[in-house]
Amino acid sequence: MDCEEVKLLLLDTRRKGLEPPLGESVSAHLAACPSCQRAEAVERTLDDLLQATLLREAAPSSLRQELERSLAAEGEAEAVPSRPLRTLRRWASSRSGLAATGLAACLAVSLFVLFERGGPGGVTLATLTGEAVNDHLRVLVSEHPLEIESGINHQVKPWFEGRLDFAPVVPVPEVPDLHLSGGAIGYFLDRKAAVVEYHLGRHAVTLLAFRGDGLPDLPENEPALSSARGFAVARWRAGGVGYALVSDIASQDLRKLADLFAAESAH
Amino acid sequence: MGQACLAHLDVLYRVARRLTRHPGEAEDLVQETFARALRAAGGFEEGSQLKPWLLRILRNLHLDRWRRERRHRIEPDAALEEAPEPDAWLRGDLELEAMRGLVASEVEAALGKLSEEARTAILLDVEGLTETEMAEVMECAVGTVKSRLSRARAALRSALAEYAR
Repeated sequence: MDCEEVKLLLLDTRRKGLEPPLGESVSAHLAACPSCQRAEAVERTLDDLLQATLLREAAPSSLRQELERSLAAEGEAEAVPSRPLRTLRRWASSRSGLAATGLAACLAVSLFVLFERGGPGGVTLATLTGEAVNDHLRVLVSEHPLEIESGINHQVKPWFEGRLDFAPVVPVPEVPDLHLSGGAIGYFLDRKAAVVEYHLGRHAVTLLAFRGDGLPDLPENEPALSSARGFAVARWRAGGVGYALVSDIASQDLRKLADLFAAESAH
Repeated sequence: MGQACLAHLDVLYRVARRLTRHPGEAEDLVQETFARALRAAGGFEEGSQLKPWLLRILRNLHLDRWRRERRHRIEPDAALEEAPEPDAWLRGDLELEAMRGLVASEVEAALGKLSEEARTAILLDVEGLTETEMAEVMECAVGTVKSRLSRARAALRSALAEYAR
């Protein structure tokens, strides 16, 4: 394998890795070739520069509020994720009166929807899936979504003690590029939930753990898959605790991941 | 659907911001993208990826706008689309150090010199889209994405070299 061939593969190597025979050849060449090492260093520097420059900006809050108002006006509001009250208070205190009004409207609609749904007795698979996706979205759109930020499950799991009336498992299976980011307390339907955030490469993955009593379609230790609005949801029950794993990764990838999570939650 | 779209608002805005090179136009473009996406929600296939779908709408709207206004716009120098000589970007550790010293405004300026196609490839890659997702946004084959991205990165390195001196 010569330098030109290796340089063509540098991007693939960084983005998705290469299969063993090819990957090993590239690694061996890189280890022995200063020119290709420099090319790799330049490419990595370019990646770092672009990420530091282009990913630091978020959409203006005025634009977000405008879109939320428009969606509410068009009858889309029933899907507005109902933020935890503490987050709402933080938002309300840090935003203009107009924004607070918009959020209050969102909250009112969410409460209306919850009331209309009649509590967990009326929960269907579609409701359960939709709620899991909404919870995932809440984490994604929140400005400070995590109450404990740590990549170590022995720090994240104990943090939930005293905050929940059940003990969720915080699995961290050995999967390349899977990293635990932290956790927070949220709500799943009518009950408190542990919200655990991971990243798989650049994809966000949310694990929700909640009391499973009264909820349908939670197979014991065997994750079942559903989807809503482009997100895949795996759900299962272990030791009386319900779990839902949500992400925008491909369904088959989420299933593999969920199987590993379920194996850990069963212990 | 609307709320699911909101989860991708930051990505849409960042891409729109670099495509239009103007914050106000970026906001307009994102709003129009949302409106178009909601109207076209029936065409979104359950189980497919929402982010690439939204980005494809955004890019097509941007291209439509650009085509309408192109008489009044100056497109970047086509020469920047030419990939530099194979070793032009390997001029030694000095260049690497200079590149590390670049500031955000210089990276933005260099990116602005690229064509829309090259900029889009760079932006989608930075936002973490896979080659398959990029192909969906840019409506081309995966192999084409690979070569476009490679050429775009080479052109960007070349443009950055001007600032790194």
